[in-house]
This record gives sequence, structure tokens and C-alpha cells, in this order.
Amino acid sequence: MPQRLRVPTVMALGLFVVLAAAAVFSSADVSFRSAERDGARVAEVLIGERPVIVLRTSAAGYRPLERAEIVANRLRAALQNEVRPEDVEVGSVEGGTGLYVHDHLIVAVYEGEAEAHHATTDALAWLWRDNVLLALGHEPVEEESEASGAEEQPAQDAGQAEVGAEPAAAQSTQEAAEMAAASEEVDWTGTAQKWAPIFSLETEGLRLGMAQVAGPPAQVEQVKGVYQLRLDFRNIGRVYAYIPVSTLSVTKLNRLQGVSVWALADIEVLDF
Amino acid sequence: MIAKRIVTILVAVGLMGLGLAAVSAYAIDLGDVLKVGGIAFLVSQYDDEIDSFITSALGEREAAAKGATKVVPILSLGRGGYIGAAQVVGSPENVQRVKAVVQVEGRFGSGRAQVLVPTTTDKASGTPDRAKGVGVSAVIEFRI
Repeated sequence: MPQRLRVPTVMALGLFVVLAAAAVFSSADVSFRSAERDGARVAEVLIGERPVIVLRTSAAGYRPLERAEIVANRLRAALQNEVRPEDVEVGSVEGGTGLYVHDHLIVAVYEGEAEAHHATTDALAWLWRDNVLLALGHEPVEEESEASGAEEQPAQDAGQAEVGAEPAAAQSTQEAAEMAAASEEVDWTGTAQKWAPIFSLETEGLRLGMAQVAGPPAQVEQVKGVYQLRLDFRNIGRVYAYIPVSTLSVTKLNRLQGVSVWALADIEVLDF
Repeated sequence: MIAKRIVTILVAVGLMGLGLAAVSAYAIDLGDVLKVGGIAFLVSQYDDEIDSFITSALGEREAAAKGATKVVPILSLGRGGYIGAAQVVGSPENVQRVKAVVQVEGRFGSGRAQVLVPTTTDKASGTPDRAKGVGVSAVIEFRI
């Protein structure tokens, strides 16, 4: 290899290793994503690679994916402490059934959501509880699930039943109020910071880079990378939009709200 | 005689070189002035349009930021003057106060690094004071 290519190549490889390591070690246990099930667009909340809660309906003016983000944030906060099987409970909420971890409400199940899963609210809440326990490496307590009358199979493919229900209308419930409070105004004032890899492919060449993102700690923790989207504005200018994402997918950009870019760094790897 | 001619030629060449350097320096200054003025004009003319363009483009991909957004000029701390524009995002009251983004850029080999600081002033001098609760969501480079 020519001497002049050796240094850039070594630097590029080193940066690639750093980026890969950053992506691996920054991965959070809890995430959410949009997915397609039975021809319908749903939102999944995952622990590790395992979907544990599937949301099919809108509520309080929020789409399933927005609800999934809220649920994922609650679940992530609850899992900061050690979770024993008895810490994951199903209880009642006003107008429905709730899934609790450490006595904190994670998600409330109402009729609309339950109907969309062809289940009762209790059955769906117990199903999600079992999924959470399985994802955390615990065995679900059988008699409790049976007592609830769950019709769906507890599985890693949470909520596989066919979609039959229309999206639920906004409900004046505890969860609706909590969601409204949580999402009406995204908190952009967080102070946590983190470096994340930038993924972009330009026509002039391939550049590998990193971005320093900042925002609320819970959101920043989820950042796995920053997608750079290049757009042409008429013939006047070129726009580079930076999108902090929670999952590395080329088909879907799961933007993390409340997180923005503070600094950028990149290195040219290939010039063509 | 020959020595005199050589000295004369060298002096002439030196003077021409100095003249070209002066013309070249003048051209760079004029270009920078035009560029800075052009960017300031473009930002003032198209700020809202660019803001809507970015928001709708991201919205089509379900990746729009939930928060107030605004397009402001980028001021270079090293070079001085406007060098581009940035879309900032954050809570409405904080975004409203942002007047510019100060860029501090450095280069290392084939790499580059830039720090983007949204500020409530439109002057790039000293240490930029970061506007709280606001970050950068897009950078716009103008073709001038």
C-alpha cells in the first residue's frame, strides 16, 4: 500500500471501530419502533430485541408511535432499578387496566386498544406483563395469567391478533392526561450530551462522522446514531438535516424528540 | 552590463509578483464581501420558506421535530460574517430568542469538526453564549 494512503486508511479504520463501539455500547435496553403487522402499521415497544407491547390505536390525539415513545420512556425509567417478577403487576386504572412496574404506570389498556387485539383489557394487560417478564428473563406466573382470562398467547410477538378495531377516540382518562402532559411540549432543555455516529452517503464520497447530541438524559440515552439527510432547496442551497434516531434502520427514521445536535465532526474516507 | 540587465529583470518580476498578489488579495476580499452579503440577503429572504421546506421534508419521512423551529444565519467565529444558515429547534420561547448560530470550525488532516452554538446575539465575538433549550436540526449551505 502506498505510504500516502496508509495514514488515512488507518484513521478511517480506527474511526469505524470507534463508531461501531459507540453504537454497541450506547444501545439502550428499551426502545420503540414502527412496524407492520397483518397489513397494519403498529408501534412496538421492545426490551432488547423482543417486542413486549404492541400499540395499534391512537389515543388523546397521539398516534401509536407517539404513545410507544411515552411507554418506552416510562419502562426505561422503571427498569433503572432491579425488577423482580412481583414488581411487574396488573392493576386497575380509571376506565381500564394498567400495567405497572414498581407501582409506576407503564401503559393503560382501554377498550379500543383491547378490541384491536381481539382481547379484553385485562387479558391484554396480562399478556404484556408476561411479555415484559419473559424479556427480563423471568418466568410468568401462570395462575395469574389464567385467572385473567387472557385469550392471546403470551409470546415475544406481542399482540398478534388481527386488527379489527378502529382507532380509539381520544379518551379523557388518566393516561390521556399523562400523555398530553408528557408530549404536548417536548422537553428540549435537558443537559445530557453524547457523541453518536453520523450515517450519510453523499455523491461526492463517503464520509464517516460523529455528532454531539444533547437533550433530556432519558432521550439522549436512547440515541444510537444521527442520520444526515441531504436535501436541495431550489438551486439556492443545500440542506443537511440531522435526525437523532433510536434505531438504526434505513427504511424508517425513528426520530428522538427533544434531542438536537450541538457539534459535528467527520473524516473523508473515500473520494469519488 | 549583463549583471545590470539581470537585476532589472529580477526587480521587474518582483514588482509584477507583488502587484498580482495585491490584486489577488483584493479579489478575495471582494468575493468574501459579496458572499457574506449574499448569504445575509438569502437568509433574510428565504428563512421562513427554508424552515417550512425542511419541516415538510422531514414530516414526509415522519421525522419532523416536535418543537418550534426557525432558520437563522450561521456566523463564523474564525472567518467572521455569515457563512450559511441553520434551522434551530427547541421550546417556542427559547427559539424565539435565537438570532444566530455561531460556528467554530477546525480541521485535522482529511477531517473537520464544527461546534454549533445557537446564540441570542448576532455578533460573533469572544466566547459564544449558548441559548438554553435550543439545538441545531439542520445546516444550510448556500451556492454562491
